[in-house]
Amino acid sequence: MSRARYLAKRLLMAIPVVWLGTSMTWYIIFMGPIDPATRLLSEGQVRNPAAYEAAQTQLGLNQPPLQHYVDWLSSLIVFDLGRTWLLYQGSSVNALIMDFLPRTLWLGFWSVLIAIFVGVPLGFYAGMRSNTVSDYVASMGGIVWRAMPNFWLGIMLLAVLGSSQAIFGVSWETLGPNLTSGISGNPDLSYLAGNPLAFFTNIDATLEAIKKVAPAAIVLGSASMGNEMRIGRTAVLEVKNQDYVELAKVKGVSDRALVYKHILRNALVPLVPIITSEAFLLIGGSVLVESVFGINGIGYLFFQAAIQGDLPLVGTLMYVFILMIVGINLIQDVLYTLIDPRVGLEGE
Amino acid sequence: MSDTLLEVENLRTVFHTEKETIRAVDGVSFDVERGETVGLVGESGSGKSVTARSVLGLVDEPGVIEEGSIEFCGDELVGGNWDEHRGDIAIVFQDPMNSLNPVYTVGNQIKEALRIHQGLRGQAATDAAIELLEDVGIPDAARRVTEYPHQFSGGMRQRAVIAIALACDPDLLVCDEPTTALDVTIQAQILELLDELQREEDLGVLFITHDMGVIEETTDRVNVMYAGEFVESAPVDELFDDPKHPYTKGLLASIPGRTAGDERLPTIEGEVPTSTSEPSECRFAPRCPHAFDACESVHPERIAVGDPDADHETACLLYDDEFEESPPEDGVVADGGETA
Repeated sequence: MSRARYLAKRLLMAIPVVWLGTSMTWYIIFMGPIDPATRLLSEGQVRNPAAYEAAQTQLGLNQPPLQHYVDWLSSLIVFDLGRTWLLYQGSSVNALIMDFLPRTLWLGFWSVLIAIFVGVPLGFYAGMRSNTVSDYVASMGGIVWRAMPNFWLGIMLLAVLGSSQAIFGVSWETLGPNLTSGISGNPDLSYLAGNPLAFFTNIDATLEAIKKVAPAAIVLGSASMGNEMRIGRTAVLEVKNQDYVELAKVKGVSDRALVYKHILRNALVPLVPIITSEAFLLIGGSVLVESVFGINGIGYLFFQAAIQGDLPLVGTLMYVFILMIVGINLIQDVLYTLIDPRVGLEGE
Repeated sequence: MSDTLLEVENLRTVFHTEKETIRAVDGVSFDVERGETVGLVGESGSGKSVTARSVLGLVDEPGVIEEGSIEFCGDELVGGNWDEHRGDIAIVFQDPMNSLNPVYTVGNQIKEALRIHQGLRGQAATDAAIELLEDVGIPDAARRVTEYPHQFSGGMRQRAVIAIALACDPDLLVCDEPTTALDVTIQAQILELLDELQREEDLGVLFITHDMGVIEETTDRVNVMYAGEFVESAPVDELFDDPKHPYTKGLLASIPGRTAGDERLPTIEGEVPTSTSEPSECRFAPRCPHAFDACESVHPERIAVGDPDADHETACLLYDDEFEESPPEDGVVADGGETA
């Protein structure tokens, strides 16, 4: 089976997953114990039959459930996400998501990168030098890093950076790109709107946006960094004693090529699902970190919608999350076929 | 220049564990000459593979070559000089499923060796790789060269491993139980292939196995290994016709079909002990049917036995004139093969 066909098959298989997840969301929200219409109304209005009726009509809840389900699902498919009820009342959900999502993606992207570029090399390093002092230092560091709770680490980091002038004699705000808007808050991504290439052309803005999100990304990436370190270490330990590595050594492959060609690629195979499954966590688990660092991301939006009872918005955001998770899974499958030729060739 | 490729002298490879120091290989000596096949035989845990790994410089922490010398073509290898001779000694491992890197094509892995040892690149390397695959009997080699190891069967993979070994243009081939993981028909084919290649390339072969039948077929000279030591060394015919050490006799007697008439196949009771200290006794004594008092207190030295022209040695007190005990008559306990 060619790679394209494998992917096409994967894509087709993703459709039922999205459908099932979305349907369950609909059932829980609209058929569950909480009446969305009631939640949308204030105490006084609930007792006003006219207002309640109006809310029901607007939500489409006076239709037969099947009709409502089909309408809801079809509007999601074409990304006609409607308007909000409570949160940012009356604004377009599409616009809201387009406003909030990039911040979360920006945060998630850098925290995944930090985890990959620090955790994985550290794990591989520890694995190559197993049971030496450097291994113990790296492993211990990984465990400690892994064990620190996100919210605590976030607060500590903010506290230290906030008084960095007093502690280190260097102010974090003026170190490198100037953070005029304070050390926490939203990264300014407006410069990327409509022109993604500005990421490379407008380096100053990029650096400022990175610096703004860096503490949050480090905190968010810390747990996965520890995980990836542990898994990376184990994977290298497992691979480096395989017969094929020794055969390559006997063949006369240099130590460097042995590590980069024969060990690392095989050790990456068990790491791929760890990295991608952590990418979900970063999206879902960013709520806490986004609140601590005052970043208005989609996790924060979801949290607010759930707390304040804007159930239609919760449902819509669930749909966005489902799409993202299925998308990350697809990326994982692509990575698998790139790293390991055994994947995707079954069932020919 | 002499024809001796490999000279191993008094090799001792130990593993330092937290509890104790395990002497996996304890003072073995042997030579391999060009064109010669030297067999190492013994049961699991006797130190055969560690001997092979020592020769290849693959002993890693916590293992260390504590004593002895390994000379290859006159160069001392112990002390980390393997890099200069990488490729001169090739290996075929026991498990072909695990000997090839699963994420690269078979061709890629052969070409890697060709590039290092013969300086071939690009199309020339691909052509040479195809030729090598044909040499080891893989049909449709031009297509196979682009396939991954998981698309090969076990026997095919072992052939591919042999092709990689040949790509290094080696002088010495170490075969560590190369046919153990294969079924009998494939085993015969692989042995035939190895034999053919050895004659063509004039290779020295160090052949490790626990299968006496394979030893009889393939080797010129046999070393019987027990608990890290060579208990008997002899040319293959001499060993099979006139085994001296009770362990060798036991091994030969336990080959099905060799002992006519017996309903039950004789076995050697017990298992190989783990050697942790300087021997002060015969390590086989607890399992030996002929053990006498001195076997518990004297470590036997290797002495010449049998046919004086055959270079036949064994380490057994039964053949040492200092002790009164005399060797058992053939056929008393474990028959050496005359009745077969």
